Order: sequence, then structure tokens, then C-alpha cells
Amino acid sequence: MGAAHSASEEVRELEGKTGFSSDQIEQLHRRFKQLSGDQPTIRKENFNNVPDLELNPIRSKIVRAFFDNRNLRKGPSGLADEINFEDFLTIMSYFRPIDTTLGEEEVELSRREKLRFLFHMYDSDSDGRITLEEYRNVVEELLSGNPHIEKESARSIADGAMMEAASVCVGQMEPDQVYEGITFEDFLKIWQGIDIETKMHVRFLNMETIALCH
Amino acid sequence: MEGADLVAKVLSTWLTLVLGLILLPSAFGVSLGISEVYMRILVKTLEWATLRIEKGAPKESVLKNSASVGIIQRDESPMEKGLSGLRGRDFELSDVFYFSKKGLEAIVEDEVTQRFSSEELESWNLLTRTNTNFHYISPRLTMVWVLGVIVRYCVLLPLRVTLAFIGISLLVVGTTLVGQLPDSSLKNWLSEVVHLTCCRICVRSLSGTIHYHNKQYRPQKGGICVANHTSPIDVLILTTDGCYAMVGQVHGGLMGIIQRAMVKACPHVWFERSEMKDRHLVTKRLKEHIADKKKLPILIFPEGTCINNTSVMMFKKGSFEIGGTIHPVAIKYNPQFGDAFWNSSKYNMVSYLLRMMTSWAIVCDVWYMPPMTREEGEDAVQFANRVKSAIAVQGGLTELPWDGGLKRAKVKDTFKEEQQKNYSKMIVGNGTLNVESD
Repeated sequence: MGAAHSASEEVRELEGKTGFSSDQIEQLHRRFKQLSGDQPTIRKENFNNVPDLELNPIRSKIVRAFFDNRNLRKGPSGLADEINFEDFLTIMSYFRPIDTTLGEEEVELSRREKLRFLFHMYDSDSDGRITLEEYRNVVEELLSGNPHIEKESARSIADGAMMEAASVCVGQMEPDQVYEGITFEDFLKIWQGIDIETKMHVRFLNMETIALCH
Repeated sequence: MEGADLVAKVLSTWLTLVLGLILLPSAFGVSLGISEVYMRILVKTLEWATLRIEKGAPKESVLKNSASVGIIQRDESPMEKGLSGLRGRDFELSDVFYFSKKGLEAIVEDEVTQRFSSEELESWNLLTRTNTNFHYISPRLTMVWVLGVIVRYCVLLPLRVTLAFIGISLLVVGTTLVGQLPDSSLKNWLSEVVHLTCCRICVRSLSGTIHYHNKQYRPQKGGICVANHTSPIDVLILTTDGCYAMVGQVHGGLMGIIQRAMVKACPHVWFERSEMKDRHLVTKRLKEHIADKKKLPILIFPEGTCINNTSVMMFKKGSFEIGGTIHPVAIKYNPQFGDAFWNSSKYNMVSYLLRMMTSWAIVCDVWYMPPMTREEGEDAVQFANRVKSAIAVQGGLTELPWDGGLKRAKVKDTFKEEQQKNYSKMIVGNGTLNVESD
């Protein structure tokens, strides 16, 4: 019985930290074990076993996001080699729907967290700015695999988008001013007023209601 | 010596009982009804056990319907809809949102890997192997479970092993003997009798209860029988009701002996390992086989690997290119009494058989379906999918387009590139780029 007690204490701790319910945590734990092959940690290679993920054009960035120290709140940069279940849940919690019943400040905080997750996905060298190179890199990944689009087109799309971002963030630029890159504050400015809710959350089902409708 | 005498007496009574109650009736295809009584007692006990658990367990941990419902509600909207909305320019930062959401959904739950592990049951069937969710409930329940273990391991297991032994040796001896006869209708009839008897004995050795539906559609000579694959026992289940010509690799060891014996009595199609790689050779031999209308129908499992009986995966088109009439058969096991799925990465053949013989019973339904042929203008892949849907609908299984080979291999690159092509088509439109916004 001792083992059962400490397990439920851990679950409660995780509930508090990540906001998932205990049923969801148990479900996700089972999924974690499936992905890790019953090991206590997951490495990058374990994600190769998910066939659906292979179809995703930015799969490498998504997998990288799981190991990014900034998302795991473990440091300002760098990648972890392996993650445990708590880290797994931390990343998952970025995709929980924003609880609109909380106060305005809380809602704003959740929004920032989500946008920060996305920012980290673009900013691969962790210098706090999305440079033109990094932006081009993302566009190329999204468009790669299509033999009809040359690299040039991908570049021009990225360049155009950067210019628009610059005009939103900095306004009119002097002819010799160089736009260094999109900072996180600029990133937030781009998204101001736009509702990202439907885009950036995964609908985790509430398990209790299901058990009752049996 | 008294001890030896006693043992000899026990053994002989045991054997006579087995002979009288099981072997003879199976030779004649007659059932004494013992297994029906056994099943009824079993069902009552399991119902009682479930009620005990429901009463005893604390509220939160009861009856998790985990496997079928899933943890997330996936966003099934197609890519265009998912990406539109905030779209004002040609390329949006937000597109990355959509793909990361899809990626995360795939990581949390994917349809394919869960098919390669055993189905989770909602209620406990008193076997520890399905006991992943249930904690200690009450002394009475534990008592019943202990009783169950004793019954299964000390009473049922020896009986079943004896039967299996008798069944297999009878098969080998019988087919070798029949093989000595010259080709004639007598030989065919005898080989049928031998096959059927031995298969029935082997099925009894697993306490198998099989319900056959629509027997009028049973596969005829000169046709190809196609079924979904869950375990090697599928073969046993189908051959109990009719004789088939089997297709497969030549194995060594016990399987090899059985294969060589069987081929003497009636023509099966066994391939050497090297021949299996040569698809044309395989197709040629199979075509020759079905061209001869006197030969038994071929039995093929087009999925190519064992799936856990909750879904039907991609049917490989090779079997559908041969021509001839296809007789689909759907097999569905009832997981309540014993899990028949062979997880070949977890268990080898011997431990799998042991697990089978220490479960309560193997209960399954077999549906024979009306024959299908390839229509005009339909290629092998479409035909394969049509047959697959029919089997999935009949058996109450879900249908997946994925390849069973994903159990061991990775996704082909061509699939990966599909999505990227679709997305880039959207961005580029009809080839005109409108990027310069000065």
C-alpha cells in the first residue's frame, strides 16, 4: 500500500504543476510508457515510432521542442538528451486550452506562454531574436519535398514576410537601417488582438464525464 | 510396486476418459455439450467478479474505457480549413501553429501503434495478465482468483497439453499413412477425415468455442480464402470447418515436420525462404494451383502480420492479383475469455502457446461471406480495399489504411512528402507568387 500512496502524491503534485486532471495524467503516463518502451525517459529516437508524426513537415522542430531547455524551463538555451514524464507533461501543458474562467491576468499569461513556445520553435539558436535566416529555415522546412518550388521561391516568401513583420514592429525604417530580427516583444505585437485559441490547443477529454456515460 | 501401480491406474483412467469424452466425439464431429456447461459457469463467475470489483473499488478508478475512447478529441478538419481564418498574406507565422498542434496530437495518440499490443478489457476476467488497472479489492475476490489459477494451471493445462500432443502426433502419423496411398478419391476423403479430426482435437486442446455463421458461403475448391490475421490459431480455427491448402514458408523443427507430413496427404503450397522473395514465382505457383479445380481452396492472410483484432490493416495486393474468386472470411475473437493476439515481439511461440492454454477459453466468431471477384476497371489495390472493408464491416472491426508492416519498419518517404506537397501547393496557389508588398 505504501507504493500506492506515494504514487498518488506524485500525481497530485503533477496536477498542480501542469493543470491536467489525475485521470488525464494516468492516460498520458500510459502513452509515455508506450513511447519510451517502458523506460523512465524518452529520447529523440523514440519519436520515430509514431507513424502519424512522420507525415508532418515540421516534425523535426516539434520533436526538438520537446527537448528544448527553454520549454522545459531548465535553462536559457541548449537541448536536453532525454526527458522524463514530468518534462513530457510540461510540454503537453502548453497545448491545454486557456481556461477563460481565470482572471484576465492569468489568461494573458497563458497566451504569452503559448506564443513563447512558438517563438522558441522559430528561434533555433536561442538568441532571443528570429533572424531572417531562421525564418527562411522554417519556411523551407514547411515547403520542402515539393519539387515544383525552388529554393528561391521559398526565400522570397520568407523575405516578404520578414519585411511585413518589420513594418508592423518598427514602422518606417531609414534606408540604411538594418532590421536585426523579430524579438519576443515584436512577436507579441504581431499577434495582438488576434485570437490564437483555436489554433494552439489540443482538446484533452475530461475522463470523468466519459466514465459516467457508460 | 504400489506407487507405480497407482500411477499407472490413474493414468489409464485418465486416458480412457480423454479418449471417450473427447477424441471419439471429435472424430465424428459430435459435441457432448461439456464445453457449453463450462462456458456458462465461467460467464457467471466472471459476472460475479465484475460486480464485486464495482462495489469494492473507490469511485475514481472504476471501469476506465480507455482503449476505445482515447484521450484527446482530434481536430479532423482538413488542412485548408485548419490553416485559414487568420490568413491574410501568403505565408503566415500561424501555419506553424497548425502543424505543431497536429504533431502533438500524433504524439499523444496515434491509431497505429496501439494495434500492436493487446486490447485492454473494461472488466477483469480473473487473469493477472489483463490486470493492469485493478488493485487489491477484497479477500473473496482474491480467493476466487487463486481458485481460478489452480483450476487453470493444474486441471486445464495438463488436459490441454495431453490433447495437443495427441492431436499433433495423430496428424503427423495419419497424414504420413494416407500419403502412402495412390492418388484417388479415397485418398482425398481419408486425408480430409484425418485433417478434420486432428484439428478438432487441437481446438479442444485450447478449449475453443467457435461459432460459424453463413456456412453456405464456405470457400469452394479452386478459390482463394482471405481472412484477417490475429494469431497462428486462425489457421486452426478455419481448418476445423473445412480443408484448405496453405501457403507459407518452410520452417524447421516441429513446424517443419508437420508441414512435410501434411503435404504428403494433400497438396499445400510451401515455399523455400529464397523463393518467397520472388513474387512472380509465387504468383505463378498459386495460379497453377487454383487453375486445377479439384484442388482445395488456398488460405491467405493478406495483412502479412498479426494485428490485435480491433482493426483491419492494409491488405497487400499480391494475393489479389492472382485472379480467381475471393472468399472473404471475418474472424473476431471474444477477448473476455482469453486474448488470442500473438505479440511476436513480446512472446515467442512456446510462451504464446502456454498463455493460450492457461486462459479460460478461446471464443470466436467466424463469418463466411459471399464470394467476390475483381470488377472491370478495378485494379488490385482497389479490389483489396473493397474486400478489406467488407471484412471489417462484418467483423465489427475498424478499418485502417496503414500497413501492418509498420510493426517493424518505418513509414515510407513517399507518404511523408505527400503532406508537404499539399501544403506548398496551398501557399503557392497556381504558381503565382504574390510576395512583394511594397
